[in-house]
Amino acid sequence: MEILKSIIEVAWFILLVAAGVAVLVGYLYSHFKFYSRSWFFPAVLAVFPLLALAVFGGLLGGCSFKLWVYFLLAEAAIAAFFCTVVKGRHTVPYLMLAPAFVGLALLLVYPFIFEVYLSFHDLKLTTIMMWKNTGTLPFVGLDQYIKVFTTSPLSEVSFWALFLRTLVWTFSNVFFHVAGGFILALMLNNNIRFKGVYRTLLVIPWAMPQVVAVLAMRGEFHAQYGFVNIFLVKLVEYLPFLASLGVGPVQWVSDYPLLTCTLINIWLGIPFMMVVILGGLQSISSSYYDAADIDGASYFQKLRYITLPLVRPVMMPAVTLGTVWTFNNINVIYLVTGQSGGTEQADILVSALYKAAFTYNRYSYSAAFALVVFAMLFFFSVFYLKSFDAARDER
Amino acid sequence: MKKKISAAAKKRYIRHLLIHAAIIAVAVACVYPLLRILSVSLRPGDKLFSMDLSIIPAGATFSSYARLLKDTMFLHWLWNSLLITLATSFIGVSLASTAAYAFSRFRFPGKKAGMILLLSSQMIPAGMLILPLFLMIMKLKLMNTYLGMIIAYSVSSLPFSIWILKGYYDTIPRSLEEAALVDGTSQVGAFWRIILPLSTPALSIAFLFNFTTAWNEYLVARVVLFSAKQYTWTLGLFELQGQFITQWGMFAAGSMLVTIPVLCVFLYSSKWLISGLTLGSVKG
Repeated sequence: MEILKSIIEVAWFILLVAAGVAVLVGYLYSHFKFYSRSWFFPAVLAVFPLLALAVFGGLLGGCSFKLWVYFLLAEAAIAAFFCTVVKGRHTVPYLMLAPAFVGLALLLVYPFIFEVYLSFHDLKLTTIMMWKNTGTLPFVGLDQYIKVFTTSPLSEVSFWALFLRTLVWTFSNVFFHVAGGFILALMLNNNIRFKGVYRTLLVIPWAMPQVVAVLAMRGEFHAQYGFVNIFLVKLVEYLPFLASLGVGPVQWVSDYPLLTCTLINIWLGIPFMMVVILGGLQSISSSYYDAADIDGASYFQKLRYITLPLVRPVMMPAVTLGTVWTFNNINVIYLVTGQSGGTEQADILVSALYKAAFTYNRYSYSAAFALVVFAMLFFFSVFYLKSFDAARDER
Repeated sequence: MKKKISAAAKKRYIRHLLIHAAIIAVAVACVYPLLRILSVSLRPGDKLFSMDLSIIPAGATFSSYARLLKDTMFLHWLWNSLLITLATSFIGVSLASTAAYAFSRFRFPGKKAGMILLLSSQMIPAGMLILPLFLMIMKLKLMNTYLGMIIAYSVSSLPFSIWILKGYYDTIPRSLEEAALVDGTSQVGAFWRIILPLSTPALSIAFLFNFTTAWNEYLVARVVLFSAKQYTWTLGLFELQGQFITQWGMFAAGSMLVTIPVLCVFLYSSKWLISGLTLGSVKG
């Protein structure tokens, strides 16, 4: 019975979305189609603001005269736009794009603007009830941004420590992903037996649901019952001299949280790079290697002068993507250290951002923090793409 | 002469042997954690915590599975996840399929700007939009509901889906539609009757991508859902693992039940998913 109820709830919502799309397309279609008729302007001004008032007024409660004036002005602007600029051109592509872009505007662009608004105001646990009831917030100007750089996002770690840690985290992860993926891909690219089987086994960390993989690995880094420490203990039993070098069981999660997260994330990320690089390697024609063999090139010369340059175009987008993913990776760190009483020794910028908002309930602060992180990422990508273009132009 | 060839063959043989050994070592490292989950899930209740390393433990039972299904709401969590995920994937792919067609076949003002918007949306840190979405969902009074989750998820994979589908539509020759247009269908009719049926592989990949993204999502669910009855499976498993000392067996059992179907689907579809990934990025 409950199952039936949940199905009906979701189906009803999908129908609602479909109806919304239909209304949107019909609305735009009428503007595209009839913009040149003499009755167009008065008709749309009479019909649409009233319809909108009925729909939105019912939704938000209260249909006021003021609201109607807003709708009327908006409709007048839209209709004028259609009459003077659009003039019924490109009807089909715009109608096809409209639903997706309205969705993006509502759930991507609007939240972004809302985040900017939040960052200049003060929303925290004590003001949230006020915001819920009245919809207004105290304006604080740049205070939140100043706080980002002067106070700790969590309880003690500072912004710059997080920043450095993020750089270390991103660099070490991407480096090992690419290096590991490259070596594995080179080995798999030989004409060996069981190649398909190996490839299947090697992508398993990527294929597992990330939540399962990270939580299970977290369990395996448990000081007593995780296999990592059990292996270390056995290793020392067989090779006693290692003990004198300081090898032994380690309190992974509490003493070395960042190292633990990094190891888990390296394990998770290598398969993706391997698969992408392997795809690149397989597309290299063997005639290059044959020619190099005739010239007597060594293995490393072939690697340096044939393989690397030819894999580069495939690898660069994957490395860029991997860098952005690693920089933005909240999942691994939050799942390992996010429980109550968890350490903040492993937090990077984005995970601190998430914790500041939802563990410490400092909403506006975390909005300002998010915009700072976004600006950094934005400048990195612009700079990176510029240098990428420049490198391409040189060739 | 003969001896020289055999020496080369021997060298190659040794090289392959070394490669096999290295790959097997790495493969073991990749698979072993999964086998450990299996092993823990099969352990009898009184031996959950042991230093045992064997894959099939002594006295293996399915009691953890039975307890998981009986004592927790695991099936309920799976059902919640399934419903939310199916709805978001359906909405996402429907919106993406038409938008991608517009980008693939038409020239219109704002095309380039639209594509750039799609690409740059990928630069936004994932954690950044959770806060405003959370506040919006709160304001709409949709906290702790399916609808709140569906709204939060529905556009997250949209840019990527549009990107893959556009790449696929680009490979379908225009002459097919032109023939249909000559025969009297409209542009929309040609899209509906010719392009969509031909794009089933790409549509299923986009669907699969939407599905796995929403299925494995944790961070949004963490803040939107707060009663155990509404949990998705990711939240449920986190909860079980959080009580590490008591519930490890049930956590492992649940992990196995979730992982096996996902693994099968992923391994089956990975080839297309990867070609979609590289296609999109190389053309960008």
